[in-house]
Amino acid sequence: MIRRVWRVLPGPQWARISQAIVLTAVFLVVLHYFYSWLGIVLLDQGGTVG
Amino acid sequence: MTETQEETRQAGDTAEGAAPGLGRGLRILHNLGWTLIYLGVFTLGFVVHQLFVTTWFAEQNQPELALERLEQWESTEISEVVVVPDSTDPDDPNDPGISSGATGSTGDEPPEPLILKVESPPDLGAAFALIRIPKIERLQEGWNVVEGVRTADLRNGAGHMPDTALPGQPGNSVISGHRTTWGQPFHELDALDPGDRIEVETALGTHIYAVREILVVKPTDFWVADPREGAWLTLTTCHPKFSARQRLVIAAELVFGPNAEVIEVMS
Repeated sequence: MIRRVWRVLPGPQWARISQAIVLTAVFLVVLHYFYSWLGIVLLDQGGTVG
Repeated sequence: MTETQEETRQAGDTAEGAAPGLGRGLRILHNLGWTLIYLGVFTLGFVVHQLFVTTWFAEQNQPELALERLEQWESTEISEVVVVPDSTDPDDPNDPGISSGATGSTGDEPPEPLILKVESPPDLGAAFALIRIPKIERLQEGWNVVEGVRTADLRNGAGHMPDTALPGQPGNSVISGHRTTWGQPFHELDALDPGDRIEVETALGTHIYAVREILVVKPTDFWVADPREGAWLTLTTCHPKFSARQRLVIAAELVFGPNAEVIEVMS
């Protein structure tokens, strides 16, 4: 899957590397928020009541 | 691209993609295998994120919150309320037994007025207190408590429920905290026994509570946050560990601190 994404990135090598870094950062941030939400739903709601 | 590179690329496509050379059954098995690998990586990532990444973030915030707390203490306005013990009927539910201000005594000798120190409420999201529990290793050095129990507030570990009393004040002060994620400050809360000490430091000074009750309730049992006579501290966290099914509630009574004496008289 990573290879497929890499292949569709346009431009020369340096531009593809830059795009890959930005995409990876965005992916990690989205994943962080998704995992945080999932953790609150499944594991630990912070102990709040009510 | 050279011929060798192209061959390598095609080999990669075959390994990861639709596997055209395989039969229908094997293709399904092949895709199922990859799906399970992705699910495994996703689940492993989730576990690592919850146990380590969230705690790393919460711990990184602690020094900054400590500075914010000290600034908050400097800017906190502390007012003094004069409390005069009253000698009226203690069985009368409409009679609180105290009066504020310089009047209210009906006894032969006017009782000595006492001073209740009251601090201004902190802003939502601001660090304003430090909780220390000597019996719990993680909390021996103290953990910063912010005002509020919104998701963003609790990413710092522990938050004070607005609309409940501030620590060291009459009523019921409720502090909620994460148990297994986001710094997990209340991870070992189940190690507490009746009589154990909980210290909360605010702009007023250090308030020392003694554990009186340990309960397991439903997340919807809001009554644990109801006001109480005297000065109480209620700690709530998820229970059991790694589950949000129930709440572990520790209720502790104020035994020492800047307001302990006057609150005891008021009660």
